[in-house]
Amino acid sequence: MTQKSAIFHFRPDTVDKPIVTELVRDYNLTVNILQAKISPEEQGTMFVTLQGGMGDINSALKYLKELYVTVILPTKNVVLLEEKCTHCGACVGQCLPKALSVDQATKEVKFNSELCIACELCISACPYGAIESVTEHLARKAV
Amino acid sequence: MAKTYEEINEKIRKKKAVVVTAEEIKGIVEDKGASAAAKEVDVVTTGTFGPMCSSGILFNVGHTRPKMKIEKAWVNNVEAYSGIAAVDCYLGATQLPEDSPRNKIFPGQFRYGGGHVIEDLVNGKDVVFKATSYGTDCYPRKELETLMNIKDLNDAWLLNPRNSYQNYNVAVNRSAKRPIYTYMGTLRPRMANANYCSAGQLSPLLCDPYYRTIGIGTRIFLAGGVGHVIYNGTQHDPCGERTENGIPKGGAGNIAVMGDLKKMNTEFLRGVSQTGYGASLAVGIGVPIPVLDEDVVRRAAVRDKDILAPVVDYSEDYPNAAGGPLAYVSYAELRSGRITIEGRQIETASISSYPKARKIAETLRGWIKDGTFELGKPVQTLPSSESGIKFKMLNYRPNEK
Repeated sequence: MTQKSAIFHFRPDTVDKPIVTELVRDYNLTVNILQAKISPEEQGTMFVTLQGGMGDINSALKYLKELYVTVILPTKNVVLLEEKCTHCGACVGQCLPKALSVDQATKEVKFNSELCIACELCISACPYGAIESVTEHLARKAV
Repeated sequence: MAKTYEEINEKIRKKKAVVVTAEEIKGIVEDKGASAAAKEVDVVTTGTFGPMCSSGILFNVGHTRPKMKIEKAWVNNVEAYSGIAAVDCYLGATQLPEDSPRNKIFPGQFRYGGGHVIEDLVNGKDVVFKATSYGTDCYPRKELETLMNIKDLNDAWLLNPRNSYQNYNVAVNRSAKRPIYTYMGTLRPRMANANYCSAGQLSPLLCDPYYRTIGIGTRIFLAGGVGHVIYNGTQHDPCGERTENGIPKGGAGNIAVMGDLKKMNTEFLRGVSQTGYGASLAVGIGVPIPVLDEDVVRRAAVRDKDILAPVVDYSEDYPNAAGGPLAYVSYAELRSGRITIEGRQIETASISSYPKARKIAETLRGWIKDGTFELGKPVQTLPSSESGIKFKMLNYRPNEK
């Protein structure tokens, strides 16, 4: 079982397609919609977490591509700097797909990059500058 | 059977003291009872680590030749108050650099401020010190700009007028309009998340709710070094509502603390940036609680489920000093990651770090066990629930003149 966060962008001519239903019915996926903004005859954006077999997820993404739905799979788009993190949890409350969570046993903050949708809300929520975008991270490392 | 500070310190010197953390004492009291626990255990160590405004450093830079009576001073462009004497300055944790954009592009990021200057100093980094004055016969110099390092300072004290709040609000944003940016973090609209800030069952003043063992002269773990409680903190408010077991149901007490900055380390002292709000300093504090008797140990064994915190709306109620708590929730519920308010499930997150609080309590336990840290007997304990002290609002009187 694989879990993946994804962002779908719809063109005006695809917003009327029952895509979520198809992902569930034809590809056996569990689709959790985290945020969606779709206006009929205009365009739309949807943040989702997909759960299912690796093969099913890949076939579903291929199908979406045929429909001209732009799929963005943001993995590893932010970097959690261990040396700066105090494990408070201020970021956790901002993370819709739960890529950032608190381990109930150790009370430490954990980051699962597979679930990250790269919204970057956690970056400004961190009081200690312990989360960087990959762009920021690379720029700093290059210096 | 009661114990005295002298007896406990004697055991510490002989490295025979039984020291446990505030997490460990709960199981001991539950298994063996408070009476046996009071006999067996000598000291309970507590810990807390979180953003604590009302913090800052007092430092003496020494004299230049010719001498200068500093009137205005800046460290890395952050103003330090110098209206104390010729070369003494106080730099506050929330002070911003002169050229900080603040909230001009909302929400501001506040990546640097007084708290970060303090972190830089403790990290041994050189900082830029600038000062101006008007010149006198005895202090003729009018301008100064120099690199400065913590090791060059005569004195550098962390001197915090209000730290380690006994308990604290759980912040939510009840408005429907937009996220709000507070000192309690970013709060999403329609109560999508709730932020809290306390180590709960590990927190110093929750483990000694009537301050029987905490007061002027209590020796503490302060930001990786050793410090002291020097007084009750400002806004100390011990007479508010308490639960049946004596735990305050709101902010209540707090402590003023002081210690040698040169002996601290940045694992437990960090600059803080709160988006849309400002800069601050995260401070690590651990207070040892001497087990003088059964009552002390029973209270130190308090659990998260028995500590309640008020849920407060920060979109309307808090800024306008109106309304009361929406509800009370326990730290056990808060730590589970979810609370229920007005029939809605709300995700919770902590602003203070429980793993760091735990590490502080464990470090302090180690120091006491090794015989390197003796307890300081308070010359006067903090004013408690019978003191009549009440935190007041400002008495606003328009100046008609």
